[in-house]
Parts: sequence; structure tokens; C-alpha cells
Amino acid sequence: MLSRRLLKNLDFTIIIVTAVLILISLVIIGSATHINNPSQERYWFVERQGMFALANIVIVFILLHFDYKSLGKYANLLYAVNLIMLMAVMFVGQSALGAQRWIQIGPISLQPSEFSKIIMIISLAHMLDKRSGKLNTFKEIIPVFIYVGVPFLLVLKQPDLGTALVFLAILFGMIFVAGINLKHLGAIGLAGAALMPIFWHFLKDYQKKRLTVFLDPNIDPLGSGYHIIQSKIAIGSGMLFGKGLFGGTQSQLNFLPENHTDFIFAVIGEELGFIGASIVLLLYFLLLYRSVKVAGEARDNFGMLLATGISSMLMFHLLVNVGMTAGIMPVTGIPLPLMSYGVSALTTNMVCIGILLNIYMRRQKIMF
Amino acid sequence: MTSASHVTIRKRAALLFLFVTVVMLGLVGRLTYLQFIKSEWLRENATDQRVREIPVEAKRGIIYDRNGRELAVSVNTESVYAIPAEIVNADETAAKLAAILTLDADKLSLKLKRRQSFTWVKRKITESEALALKNIDLPGIGLTQEGRRQYPYDNLASHVLGFTGIDSQGLDGVELTFDSYLKGHPGGIVIEYDARGQEIPYVSHRYVPPVDGQNIYLTIDVVIQQIVERELDKALRETQAKSVSIVVIQPKTGEILALANKPDYNPNNFAEYPPILWRNGAISNAYEPGSTFKIITTSAALGDNVVTPEEKFFDPGEVEVQGRFIHCWKAGGHGSQTFTQVVQNSCNVGFVNVGLRLGAEAFYRYIQAFGFGRVTGIDLPGEAKGIIINQEKVTPINIATMAMGQSIAVTPIQLICAAGAIANDGNLLRPQIVREVKEKDGNVIRQFQPDSVGNAINDKTAQTVKGILENVVEEGSGRGASVEGFRIAGKTGTAQKVGSGGYVAGKYVASFVGFAPADDPAFAMLVIIDEPVGPYYGGVIAAPVFNAVAKDIFQYMKLIPTAQKNPDQVEHPHVIVPGVINHLVADAVQDLKKVQLQARVEETGDRVADQVPKPGSRVPEGSFVLLYTLTPRYAVGNITVPDLTGKNERETVDILAELGLFIQPFGHGINAVNQNPAPGSKVPPGTTVVVFYE
Repeated sequence: MLSRRLLKNLDFTIIIVTAVLILISLVIIGSATHINNPSQERYWFVERQGMFALANIVIVFILLHFDYKSLGKYANLLYAVNLIMLMAVMFVGQSALGAQRWIQIGPISLQPSEFSKIIMIISLAHMLDKRSGKLNTFKEIIPVFIYVGVPFLLVLKQPDLGTALVFLAILFGMIFVAGINLKHLGAIGLAGAALMPIFWHFLKDYQKKRLTVFLDPNIDPLGSGYHIIQSKIAIGSGMLFGKGLFGGTQSQLNFLPENHTDFIFAVIGEELGFIGASIVLLLYFLLLYRSVKVAGEARDNFGMLLATGISSMLMFHLLVNVGMTAGIMPVTGIPLPLMSYGVSALTTNMVCIGILLNIYMRRQKIMF
Repeated sequence: MTSASHVTIRKRAALLFLFVTVVMLGLVGRLTYLQFIKSEWLRENATDQRVREIPVEAKRGIIYDRNGRELAVSVNTESVYAIPAEIVNADETAAKLAAILTLDADKLSLKLKRRQSFTWVKRKITESEALALKNIDLPGIGLTQEGRRQYPYDNLASHVLGFTGIDSQGLDGVELTFDSYLKGHPGGIVIEYDARGQEIPYVSHRYVPPVDGQNIYLTIDVVIQQIVERELDKALRETQAKSVSIVVIQPKTGEILALANKPDYNPNNFAEYPPILWRNGAISNAYEPGSTFKIITTSAALGDNVVTPEEKFFDPGEVEVQGRFIHCWKAGGHGSQTFTQVVQNSCNVGFVNVGLRLGAEAFYRYIQAFGFGRVTGIDLPGEAKGIIINQEKVTPINIATMAMGQSIAVTPIQLICAAGAIANDGNLLRPQIVREVKEKDGNVIRQFQPDSVGNAINDKTAQTVKGILENVVEEGSGRGASVEGFRIAGKTGTAQKVGSGGYVAGKYVASFVGFAPADDPAFAMLVIIDEPVGPYYGGVIAAPVFNAVAKDIFQYMKLIPTAQKNPDQVEHPHVIVPGVINHLVADAVQDLKKVQLQARVEETGDRVADQVPKPGSRVPEGSFVLLYTLTPRYAVGNITVPDLTGKNERETVDILAELGLFIQPFGHGINAVNQNPAPGSKVPPGTTVVVFYE
């Protein structure tokens, strides 16, 4: 059983914020999906997402019993599992929306790339733990890039550009906080920028289109620009108070595609207006504030790196997803953490929250 | 772990947090932009893409003449529209539609595949097409009612009426200026659709009924208009002028009784005429009025007491102004004469002297008081305001020439209004074209009252000018206009046309302006003949036109001649003009005689090719009907030869006449058995069809 002291150290802000976000998400998913389902299955998506949320609470509660430090022991194993899983997708995965991303296990379709994000954080944290403060030469830095580069390329091959970019966000967030020499970081940034044209060359056409069309969605209003235009119309037509739950014409009448998954924030903007959308963003801000705080107060380097990786991932997801629905970021298929429908992502995110709680709970060094 | 690196880590975590804050602020900023600044636009977008409206056109109001005769009516026709999102198979649908509506299937198919919520397939289709369409059920294709404008009198008053476009919007004439009354408010059927283009169930279609347009009663009198146009047609043929115009107004109200220019167009198919013919010269063309403008000079001179009617003038034949010699039109001059005689003779030298006596200030005061140099404000589009030399720059030579109607450009409507002011005891009125606007149920919405602009001259001066102008018709240059038994006041005008660099030799504008009866004017009229071939003096060619129109107007208005007050003469009933086109001339003359009309054969030929007024017109008994034997009735487009077999001779004659074709009968018998050209051939107007009878 958890000791009283550990329970007292739980970060209740994170718990409450997470709970509120998930509850809002269930309501919005219901609003976005009920109209297209037969009446007896009207709330199938809501029920499924809710069930998984409950199951994840149990899992997180169990995980809290183990010190996060033990994750370090499995880091290398997890890294290997990650590579196998990503390769498995290539051979047995199912195609959806132009990319192979799914593995069917019984009744559940899993998205390995979602889980690989958290594995990436754990294994990288383990690797950097020993190198913290020793990222001053390229000789020290390059192995880190190779370590991340292998799964990065596998994900890119799926192709899942979104997740690949999340890997980069995690990598840079973590090495930044781990104390990389800023000159070297700058040099890497410049090199990356210089390599962009080559990287661009390897992209599929639909990816290139998606990456550029957000700048002027009207060049292809019924093709790749359609999502962006409809999403902007949805958010904009919500105005201050929104059209009310279940009242969004854009989302209810199918003008807005993927309205319960990637574009759920547009539904919030349309139905709950500026006020609702701002409250949701405020909740995320609180969550990110707490998670950065967790990193800063972690008992050891490993905890700090884990929390940083999780913060980076959450922030990147938030920025790219909300930015995408608001038409200032390309459409890359990155879900809104804790809100978009999708059980793999929900599980990953809740486990991440669990890890944050775990680190914060054990922030004080045990004094005997 | 060293303590130094721990500090670094905390610092970098703080920076990370700063980054988070910036990102959040950026997102909130973007939300603010979308939901406040651009929200209205985006909201409209949201509505636009889910709501589609099928227009239901309002019925356009009717245009009547002052006595309630229909001049423009709207008849309902069906139009075909498509909602591309609802169409199941565009190619198949296009093929079926194309077959019925005689359209290009490929083009139509492309149109139906286009991503738009609503498109017209074909507008204003025929009844048989509509019937055929109603029998097949094509998803996404529908019919809606639209109005098609019809002008039952064809060319009559076309420049007043104007015409409408495909959306029944007024494009010219009162159709344009009174469009807001005539058009009504279109209604619509509003349907909400989802992204798949399916109608949303349980959302009732909203039907917004159209509000029909209001009816307009013009000041035009169809009978006077017909008389005017008959005489214009005649004048145009006789003088071979470029164009001829007449405006008739009621001086006491400023109402326009008739306004026409020839050549004109048929508003039923206005698009087939060159746009230059749409131009309403009577209000859009500024011209140098010549001697008719002397009525203004006369009014000004008498108004400012610079002359008296009895004052003696001497005309040696020319007068020197600023070193330039102005000649009188009569070689050698008119010699000694009173001012009344100066006007009678239209003596240039006399008017130059009078103008110089007036001086710029007084002359300009009257020019402005009579409404020149600015628009009259008539409710017709395209009014010009004429040209007047700036008063500050005007020289004595300008004043001298302006006094005789040169160096100034006026519009016909300005001149007739100014003449109307003299007839109306000096009071200038704004010309009116519409009397009333009424709702469908007869409620009067707007009524136009005489609109006084101001007194140009006082009553006493007006009476004096009337007297002098009466003399012009009785004894002077305007004798051609006189009608026995009626007091007519008027003035002739002959102006050389101005081209680039000066007056153009051989190009004249002949005109006559006048009103009658002089003591109690019932109408004022301006006749303009632009660029006649042959005789070009206003007194010779314009005054007789005035005379011909005035005679019939006197009869129509039942005005009693002062000299011979014989009631029998005024009690002439009206008769309907029979159709005699294609009849033998002798028969036509007989037919006309039967209904107490006189025939005037204008060309030599066997059969009547055209008649003026047109069949069905209502004219006073005893009026002349002009018969033309060479010029066919229609001048535009090819005519499809009808099938005449089985028709008797009388029927064939009338059918061909209606189409503007000649007939050459062959054989004797009751019914037509053969014809050449064959039925369905396209022939130019005036083609002779040979018909064989058995």
C-alpha cells in the first residue's frame, strides 16, 4: 500500500485538471459523434473512451506503487520492444488514411506509434541520465541522436510524420534541459535547417501538400485545404459564447471531418465559443505548468528528464493540434492530448500523467 | 551530479516554462483573431455552405398608359434549375435534359458536375418543354416560375418603356428608373443541407413568398403616342433623316403625353437591335437648337423690357459684332420691321441686336430660369444637360449667336419644357413621365403632382410672347403648322450641324416647337428632324409634321375649332385599324374606307407591305393610314416559313402578313396545296412566298 506521506505528496492539481479535461472530452466526443451513429449505438465512442479512461485510472493507480526509478532498469528492453513493434507495423499493420499505423489485437486496434512516444521518453531519459552535464562535444552528442534516430526513421517510414516530429520535440526538450552546450544546439539547428530540402525530397506528395496548404488553404479548398477551411469556419463561427453543445452546424452536419479525433478542438471552438476554448487552453496551461514544475523539483536527474520529456511531448501535441485547427500549423495528424478520441493515445497520455504524479510524489529525498 | 549542472537544469526548466507560456499566448491570440475579428466572415461561410436557396421570382408590376392600357406586362414562364449535389448521374441527367431543352449535353454535363449549390439549366422555357420536363423525374432538377416581360404594342413608346434583362431587372427607360417599384421582392425556398449534400430531415423547408411588384401609370397617352409615331414613321421615310423625334407635353402639369424617336426598337427582342437604337435622343442628345431658341430670346427681351413688340428694327442683311459679320438668312435682309415681324421672319440681324441689348447677365438669367444648362430631372435614364458657354468667359459675339440659337446646346426635353413654361403663363415645370404608382389591389402608393421649378417669366410677358408666336404660325415662317380653326403658337428652327472644327455643310436639324390652342394650351410639342435629305427648313419639313399630329390630337381631345364650331366634326368616334398587310392595295383602300379611315399610299406596288398605324390600333375616325408597298414590316432576323397547306386564301394572306412575308398566289381554289419556299425554310424578311391553290 502507498504510504500516507506519498499520498500527501500527490499533485492534486494535475489530477483535477486531467479529470476535468477527460470529462470535457467525453462530452464533446458525444456531441461530435452522436448524430452519425445509429440510435442504439449513439454514444459508442463516448462509452468506449470512458471505459478506457476508467481502466487507465486503475493502471495508473497500480503504477504509483512502484518507484519510477525502476523504469530505468527496463529502459533498454523497452527500447528494443519499441523497435520490434514499429517494424511489426510495417509488416502486419493496417492502412488508414494513407499510412500504416495500426495493429489489430483482438477487438482493439493499437497504434504502436502512440506507445512508442512514451517508450522514447523513458529510454532517452535513461540514456541521458548518465550523460547529463556531459553534452558538451559532438562526440558526446552524436550517440544520443543515433539513439533517437533509429526509431525516428522507422516511424517516418510508416509514414507517420506527426509522431516523428514528436520524437524530435521530445529529443530537443530533453537535451536542452539536460544541459546541452547551447552553441552545439544552435549548430545542430542550423544543420537541420540546411538538411530540410533533402528531407523534403523524401516526403510523400500528400505530406508535402499538407505541410504547405495551411499557408493558403484556398489553393485546394475541396482537397487538402478542406480540413483547414472547415475547421477555421467552425472555430470562427463559434464567436464568444459558441453555438451551444450539440449545436455546432459545422461539426453536426459533417462539414468538419475527424471532428471527434484530430479536430476536436474545432468542435470546442464552435460549440463552446471563445470562452470554452480559452478555459480548455487554461487547463492545459495549468497542466504544463505543473509538469515543468515536476521536472524542476524531481529528486534525481532521471525523474527530471522523464518529466521534461513528458512536458515537451504534451506541449508539442497541444501547439501543433490547436495550431492546426486554428489554421496556423500544418495538418500532421497529431491528436489533442487527453481529449481526442483514440484509446491508444488516451492510454499513453494517462500513463504519462501517472509518471508525472509518481515523480512528484517521490520528490523528497528519503531521509532516514 | 554536480551542483552546477543542477542550477543549469533549473534554469533551463524555467526557460522551458517560459516557452510554454509564449505558445499558450500565441494560441489564445489566434483564437481571438478567428472568433472575434474574422468571426462574421467565417460565420457567413458556415451558413452559405449549408443553406441553399431556390429563388422564387416576384411578378413584375404592369406599366399602363394614363388611361390604363397595358404597355408592359409579365407573363409567367418556367425556368429549370439544378442542385448539382442532389444529382445522381450527371451525364445521364444532362443527356435527358439536353434532349428536351435542345442544349449541348456535354456542356450541360460539365455544368451539373461543377461544385456549386445552385445553377440555372435553362431559363424561361416554353410550355411544351416544361410539360415534357414535368413528366420525367430527375433528382436535383427542378422548375421554378419566372416572369417574362411582354410589350403588347411592340415598338410603341419603346424609348419611354425601356426593357428588362433575364433576371427581370430593369435595364432602360422607366423599367430602369422605376425598377424599385416594379420589381417587388423575390421570395425563395430555403433548404438546409449537410456536407454530403443531403437535405436535413425534420428541418422544414422555409418558403418565403415573393412580393409582387407595383403597377405604374405613365403620363403617356397611347392614342397620342400612336399618332406621333405614325407621323414620325412617315417623316422618317419622307425626309430620309438620320433620326426624328417628337415630344408632346401637357403645359399645365408638365406631364409627357407622347415621346418618341425614330428609328427605334422592339423591346420584346431588344437584343436584336444595335444598342444605338436604344438611345433616347429626346433626352440624351444635346443639339444646337437654332431659331427655335429665339422663343427664349424673345421672352428674355420682353421680360426685361429691352424691346416692345411694336418697336421698329431695320435689317440691312448683316450686322457687325466684334469685327465679324453675321448675315441674315434672307439675302439682302428684311428691311424695316417691328419686333413682332422680326420673330415672324426669324430675322437673325434683329435677334442679334436684341441679344446685345440684353447683355450677358440678363440673357443668362433667363437661360437659367428656363432650365437650360442643367438636367430637367425627368425620371428617365441618361439625361444630358446640354452645353452653355461659361458666363464669365462669354463674349459679345457669343451672346449675338446665342440669341439666334447658336453657340448653345440644349436637349429636346429642355426646349419643350421651356416652351411649356411660356404656354403655362411663365411657370416652368419639371417634366413628368409617371402619374401614379399603385399596388396590385389599386392602392395608390405614390402620386406625382405638378412640380414647379419657378417662374421663368411673368404672366404678362408670357401672354405677349404667346401672341407673337401665334403670329409666327399665322403669318410667319411657321405657317406650315397651322390648323384651320385653331390658334397655334410656335416657332420654326433650322440649324446647321456642328462637326469637328465648325459647321458641317449639308447637315441640318429642322425643328418646330409650338403649343395649342394658344389661348388655353392643351399640349406643347417639339418636332426635330435630324439630318434630312433634301429640303431642310424647319418651316418646310418640321411644321407640317406638327400640323399632322396636332390635327389628330385636336380631334382626339375633342377640342372645338374656334372658327367653325360644328359639333358634328368633333363627335368623331374612334375606330380600330384593320390589318391590310399583304392585301392588294385596292382591297386595302376599300377595307379602310369601310371603317371610315383614309388610305395614303406611299409607294408604288401591288400589295401592302406595311401599314402605319399597326393593325389593332385605335385612332379617330377619318385618320390617315399610311400604306407602304415595298418596305417589309420586319427588318430583323430570318423568318421561318410556315406550313400553309390546307389554309384558305384569306388565312394564308394573314399568316404571311403577320410574319412579314409577301405572297404570290397561283391557281384558283379553296385551299393551299403547295408552296415555295417549303415550310421550315429560313428566309429574310420581305421574301415572297409562292402559294398554289386548288
